[in-house]
Amino acid sequence: MADRLSVRRKLRLPPYLLLLFPAVSFMLLMYAYPFVSSFTRSFVVSDGKLGFFNYAKTWDLYLKDIAFTFAVTVFSTSVTAVLAVLLAMYLRFRQSVVSGMLAGLYKLPIFIPFVVVAQMMTTFLAPHGLLNLTLARIGLINIDNPLELFNFWGLSFGFIWKMIPFSVLIIHGGFQMIDNSYIEAARSAGARRGKVITHILIPMSKSSIMVALVLVYSQIVGTFTLPYMLIGGKIPTTITVDIAHRVNYFRDFGVANTLGVCSYLLVLGTAIYYLRSSVKRVTEAESSGR
Amino acid sequence: MSLKRILVIAAELMLLLVMFLIIFGPMMSLFIWSIAIRWYWPATLPQEIGFDYWRQALGLQKSLAIGAVSILPAFFLSLTIAVIVVGLAMLIAIPAGYALAKYKIPFGSVIMFLFLMPNAFPQQPIFVNLLRIFTRIGLAGTIPGVILVHILVGMVFGVWITSATFRAIPTHLEEAARSVGASKTRAFFRITLPLAAPGILASAVFVFITSLDEFTGTFFIGLPFVNTLPMTLYSSSGYNMQFASVIAIILLIPSILFMTLIQRVLRAEYVGGMG
Repeated sequence: MADRLSVRRKLRLPPYLLLLFPAVSFMLLMYAYPFVSSFTRSFVVSDGKLGFFNYAKTWDLYLKDIAFTFAVTVFSTSVTAVLAVLLAMYLRFRQSVVSGMLAGLYKLPIFIPFVVVAQMMTTFLAPHGLLNLTLARIGLINIDNPLELFNFWGLSFGFIWKMIPFSVLIIHGGFQMIDNSYIEAARSAGARRGKVITHILIPMSKSSIMVALVLVYSQIVGTFTLPYMLIGGKIPTTITVDIAHRVNYFRDFGVANTLGVCSYLLVLGTAIYYLRSSVKRVTEAESSGR
Repeated sequence: MSLKRILVIAAELMLLLVMFLIIFGPMMSLFIWSIAIRWYWPATLPQEIGFDYWRQALGLQKSLAIGAVSILPAFFLSLTIAVIVVGLAMLIAIPAGYALAKYKIPFGSVIMFLFLMPNAFPQQPIFVNLLRIFTRIGLAGTIPGVILVHILVGMVFGVWITSATFRAIPTHLEEAARSVGASKTRAFFRITLPLAAPGILASAVFVFITSLDEFTGTFFIGLPFVNTLPMTLYSSSGYNMQFASVIAIILLIPSILFMTLIQRVLRAEYVGGMG
């Protein structure tokens, strides 16, 4: 009897298999399969032959757009990083009525969807938009010669506008984790504020700054809505807009997937960093909790 | 008051003003467009304002203008899809989140990778291939197809936030319940689930908002038959700025409300990949 029970226990599947099965099989079918397909399909030409034809075509037609995507991403990420670190530093060190108001204010845009940001920016940055009209009114530009912003600069402005709040949230969170006693100790040992920042604040919150940067970078590479509504099919445009054109106008899944692979390659480094650091954080929390 | 102090306060007020203008400038632009009836270039502000476009959009007033459609059907479609998505996504995300938090799983990190990958890589190539697959099996351009894609997009938040919540609940509580005779299932439903309820609710709201706002997935899978609110915004922004702005504001409200509600419990890693 006891023997039979232990055999049954051995044969019984571990309960987590049942719990994980629906979600994992959903992700395998809806995510992993299409993900692998974007690689395999990038080698399939429309008449069913295999080869590098799609890559050659992408190289000919879209090299400029890939460079443009990379440039916008690097520029927006860098500006976001600098401004977010400065703002987080201000919020960390300054306790005043104004800093309290800013702390409440800056978070507002975090959840605004990109489609709304895109509509906002198309009205705001247009040649006849609020920005140009206001600048003309205060005499900074001539209204007959408005700033043309449906390009690199406007796109970067939109990305930076959307990404700074989220980056400040992460970086400021990292700064808050550093105990005041470290900073006071350094100050009493004679370190000036600049030295406290470069020797304590930044090094100790390196991981949260990195996570913010990595997420901002990979989100910008993958964003379709903002460039699609702001720049559209103009040249140069972003990879995401090209993918939509390939699919909607030509039903050309080969080149679309090749462009998709290019966008994966652009984020490869940041994606690996993000995945590894997220999983490490969880496993560390688990081992310390047990 | 020393001169230095005055200068610092002046600089701070300047910073506040600049931040205020940068954050609210684009939002202001939306609002002005939504009430502009006549706005001829190069006037700084509209010559004639009114809530006509709001009334037309909300179906209170009929109009024959180009692009003037009632947005109510799109609004209810978006709402229905979001509710179904939350229900289905949470149904499979809660067990997975619990398993990831409470069991030592072989290849556990591979499974975590799978749930995090949509955040790490661009999602558009996935939608492109889903369109190809869905076209073959007749799901492209249908509401069920769109629901499946929205579940995919919300899954990261569903699984990740619920598993963080379950991880924070001490295992010994459930063990204590079991030691006085409760079955495993009963211990889960009576002890763990009520304690996890706030976190589960937060993740459900995340899934809801992502579904309501989802554009790219709907664009590839749903076009041209599934007109959710973001799709209506996109299609009217080409020729009717006022309607597009009205819809944008309607989509803006839940996101700002959600932000102010969730302020206190907001954890940075939740937000990655939103929008």
